[in-house]
Amino acid sequence: MKPTAPIKLVSELLDLPIRDRDGRECGIVDDIEFEGGPGKTTAIKALLVGPGAYERRMPGWLFACVRMVAGDRITRVPLQEIETIRSIVTLKCTATEVGLHRVENRVRRWIPRKGAL
Amino acid sequence: MNPLELTLGVMTAVGGFVDISELVFASKAGSTFGYALIWAFAFSTVGIIVFSEMAGRVAAIAKQPVFNLIRHRVGLKLGLVTLMASLLSTLITCAAEVGGMGLILHYLTGAPYLLMATLSTLAVGGSMWVLPFKWIERIYGLLGLLMLVFAASLIAIHPPWDRVAGGFVPQVPHGLSTKELLNFAYFGVAILSAVMFPYEAYFYSSGGIEEEWGPKDLLTNRVTSIVGMALGSLLAIAILANSAQLFGPANVGPELPGSTAMQAAIPLGGTGLLLALLGMLFAVAGAAVETCMANAYSIAQFFGWEWGRHKKPWDAPRFTLAWIILLLLSLALVLTGIDALTLVEYAVLFSILVLPLTYLPLMLLAGDRKYMGDYANGLLAKSLGWLYFGIVTAAAVAAIPLYVITSGGQG
Repeated sequence: MKPTAPIKLVSELLDLPIRDRDGRECGIVDDIEFEGGPGKTTAIKALLVGPGAYERRMPGWLFACVRMVAGDRITRVPLQEIETIRSIVTLKCTATEVGLHRVENRVRRWIPRKGAL
Repeated sequence: MNPLELTLGVMTAVGGFVDISELVFASKAGSTFGYALIWAFAFSTVGIIVFSEMAGRVAAIAKQPVFNLIRHRVGLKLGLVTLMASLLSTLITCAAEVGGMGLILHYLTGAPYLLMATLSTLAVGGSMWVLPFKWIERIYGLLGLLMLVFAASLIAIHPPWDRVAGGFVPQVPHGLSTKELLNFAYFGVAILSAVMFPYEAYFYSSGGIEEEWGPKDLLTNRVTSIVGMALGSLLAIAILANSAQLFGPANVGPELPGSTAMQAAIPLGGTGLLLALLGMLFAVAGAAVETCMANAYSIAQFFGWEWGRHKKPWDAPRFTLAWIILLLLSLALVLTGIDALTLVEYAVLFSILVLPLTYLPLMLLAGDRKYMGDYANGLLAKSLGWLYFGIVTAAAVAAIPLYVITSGGQG
């Protein structure tokens, strides 16, 4: 499926893993942002990644728990940055270029870079 | 297909098959019901073979590990429920393995159990940091082969082979009271859970992705699943049969792993005992690694973090942090003073509840031609998959009532 092709079922795209152009895992499609409106063509504008995007997908009390543990950040991945959508969404760019991997990079600083074969 | 790699893969699967729950339940089942529960091990082994083969095939073809699939198939809410339930059950299983390591090292050295549990956890964590995936899997799996001493001891004690073979036929022993029948059913459910632990599918499919399996590896996947697990199961059955022959007639209830090790000491002396304890130690340590990593895999895959031990720890930082925290949490559970055998009981009980949620999405994806193409489930895989799904669901429903009624198999 190409990113510009009509998507009959949003469910096919929701919750797919995302990899950047270097093959690194960089999140899951947590929600989808559309453009258009009544009388206009509806199209995908961006993929939303991050715990903040869970808000519309779960009961309020559960989202409050998620927010307490993981925060409520959302990263938008514009449609133009998507290369392919198959069983994995592949990006044309690196994770860092679209603002993904921020937490990954923050945690990386705590991990000692020695000892592993 | 590289024959050496294949042989190593099969041997690793054999050595890595048995964990603390199988040790405990095989031994107790043999002493309590003789050979009558051998079929439960054989039947459950076919189940884990079916789902492991599917998990490996999906990893090779769709390149998707189990928890990606679960979330995509069942959605965020039910996926989160499954994740939480699976994390809890696998954490308890990991704690049971940590307790098992502590107990076995206590037998070997005489040092305090909790100190040994702590030191062995640090050693396991150190090995997970230093070694890449393939080495971690191979070292623990191959050293676990020392447990072949149980097969040797079974041969040495000359059991009634016709009765051992008869145990492979599904049966319920005659003349049991209602209480004993319920106890028998509890052991059947516990064995099903211990053999089909959900972490095994998570670990196996993640391992396939770590090793970059593709269509050319499907034969390796099939042979490793079928031959490796079947031979591994025979080890567990050898423990059960030893127990039926040595402990049952003497009315010995082998509650502790140390009693299981005595099965090798009786016919083979001190060397047998040492080999049995070392084999059990490495098998249980391997299971501790697998459970801990399976939990870290699950979290990382569910949230789309970088993951894998083919990467350096700092190249998958959140995954690394996750397995370190999970390993320490397992140790903390043991240090609270909860008895290791109680942890084994809880691990088996919670795991059976999670099994249906784990295997349904896996089976649906393995049968989906859109993702799997010509490699989708055929008639045999489909039929066996649904049969075992029905059975684990029924077992999940029956598990808690049976546990309560039988006081955890105490009768």
